[in-house]
Amino acid sequence: MTRSVRRMTGWIVMTAVGLPFGPLILWSFSERWFFPGLWPQAWGLRAWTYIASTAGMQVMAAIGHSVVVAAVTAAIAVAIGLPAGRALGLYTFKGKDLVSVILTLPIIVPPLCVAMGLHLWFIRLGLAETYAGVIGVHLTFCLPYAIFVLWGVFSNYNPEFEAQARSLGASRLAVITRVMLPMILPGLSVAALFAFLLSWSQYLSTLIIGGGRVTTLPVLLFALMGSGDRPVAAAVSLVFVAPAFVALLFSARYVGTRSLTGVH
Amino acid sequence: MGDLRIEKLAIDYGARAVIQGLDLDVHDGEMVSLLGPSGAGKTTILKAVAGLLEPSGGNILIDGHSVRGVPPEKRNAVMVFQKPLLFPFMNVSQNIGFGLRMRGQAGGETARHVDHILALTRLEGLSRRKVHELSGGQQQRVALARALVLKPSILLLDEPLSNLDATLRQRMRELIQTIQSETRMTMLFVTHDQSEALMLSHRVALLLDGRLRQVGAPRQLFHHPADPEVARFFGGKNFFQGHIQNGMYHSDFGVFAVGPQDGNGHLRTATIRPEDIRIVPRRAESSGGLAGRIVKTNFEGSATRIVVACSAGELVVLTSQDGFLPGQEVEVTVPPDKLRLFPDA
Ligand SMILES: Nc1ncnc2c1ncn2[C@@H]1O[C@H](COP(=O)(O)OP(=O)(O)OP(=O)(O)O)[C@@H](O)[C@H]1O
Ligand SMILES: [Mg+2]
Repeated sequence: MTRSVRRMTGWIVMTAVGLPFGPLILWSFSERWFFPGLWPQAWGLRAWTYIASTAGMQVMAAIGHSVVVAAVTAAIAVAIGLPAGRALGLYTFKGKDLVSVILTLPIIVPPLCVAMGLHLWFIRLGLAETYAGVIGVHLTFCLPYAIFVLWGVFSNYNPEFEAQARSLGASRLAVITRVMLPMILPGLSVAALFAFLLSWSQYLSTLIIGGGRVTTLPVLLFALMGSGDRPVAAAVSLVFVAPAFVALLFSARYVGTRSLTGVH
Repeated sequence: MGDLRIEKLAIDYGARAVIQGLDLDVHDGEMVSLLGPSGAGKTTILKAVAGLLEPSGGNILIDGHSVRGVPPEKRNAVMVFQKPLLFPFMNVSQNIGFGLRMRGQAGGETARHVDHILALTRLEGLSRRKVHELSGGQQQRVALARALVLKPSILLLDEPLSNLDATLRQRMRELIQTIQSETRMTMLFVTHDQSEALMLSHRVALLLDGRLRQVGAPRQLFHHPADPEVARFFGGKNFFQGHIQNGMYHSDFGVFAVGPQDGNGHLRTATIRPEDIRIVPRRAESSGGLAGRIVKTNFEGSATRIVVACSAGELVVLTSQDGFLPGQEVEVTVPPDKLRLFPDA
């Protein structure tokens, strides 16, 4: 790609990503903004002061819940996805195609169905309206993604590195911590990031399984939107996308496409 | 001390037996080449010695002790793979120091050993380089250094030069030879390249179809192959069928005086190396050789390979003279003293 083409692609991507954010930012700083106006009629910090002070505790608590749920979900997804992706990427075994079909199911089937279906089970298991239940339902979406990413990573992974390390004196454990993990770190980060963001943005499943008791940021966001206060909803939305934005910048900078193909 | 003994080794992948009843001794300070065509099972044998693969039978002894059940990291045998396999997240000296760190050696001491090996493998000045900033030859030297620094009883080298170009390969061979004679490290060197094996090693072990066909000094294998297949592996092309009668070998290509032999009247196979056959253009008066016509010539630089059709069959001749042409009438002579008679089949 020539430089000008690359620059143009950059601008297109920036615009596509940035377009929805413009109005959000304007909304969050507006006091009054009626339809025909291209611009808010009155500016102000009301929305931001509201979420910082009046609703501050609520927002902070919701961020806390979201972070905990997303972090635990991502950790579990990676912890299970790593051995699963390794098995799928490195070995051939009977039923491998079946596994890949089963893994795509939660991605294809609408989340509503998955959540509704699981709800009945979770009530019986006492998982409804609990953190564990919410993390459980998030995992049904996050785990397949994590497995798919790590499957790709291990398809391009050369296990001879591990044999070489063993011969050079590394124990089984040292091979995992000193060779495998550093080698797949970029891909592993992507898998964790995907899982985290996917869990972070779950609304419907959280609401159904959490029953309104587990108030993550999206749950609060929808509640605020329902109240019809546009500027506040816009401000909360911006808080909500902040981690995704940071993650996007991080992944563009550090991982790129190389991470998905592993290291040779 | 660095002594390797392989006894009745058998290895199979699933139901397929790759190695059967293999015996091989590598003595202290010796450089032995394990030579064989692709797929013969050379890598498989090295992996078994390194502990990366469980044999299905037989025994492996390192320094006189059986290593059955000993994990690779506890064996005093280090394997260098066909590909350099340098850890991409470490620089050159971190790669070389990897094994020492795994042994829990102190940082200062590790650095000292690494510096010494860097000098030995002519890698000074590259210690801080990232591995992807190295040339193929440099990468291969780092891989070698990473194993050498551990001073193992046995160094197992799996075709470490096969990915290099001809000039670089020659330089690396000389480097390995120098290092071997300086350190007296016991080495088992795997290659499919016969000239590499002949040049580098004290002894050559030829592996064909999962069995060792002949083990011996390079000259012995080259000049006195144990059977026709060994001869073929070393470039043997001319095989005669005949029988012995009172010190004479009666073959389809003529009668040759081979001295007293056992087994009068038995059918025996014989071979002659292409470079041992003499070839001259045919003249009016015969010099007592076999008459033939040139079928094909292949110019190979320092020599020309010529296929000659005689009445008894085709002979391949290698000559340093140039100027022979296809279709030309020639006379070839087989010196009886260069004829190698194989034992009774
Ligand atoms: N993991 C494996 N599973 C099944 N068969 C294998 C496996 N590894 C090797 N083989 C087979 O075992 C035989 C010996 O393989 P090996 O790698 O030891 O050969 P090699 O002599 O090192 O060949 P090359 O010179 O090509 O490296 C080959 O026929 C190969 O197809
Ligand atoms: Mg091999």
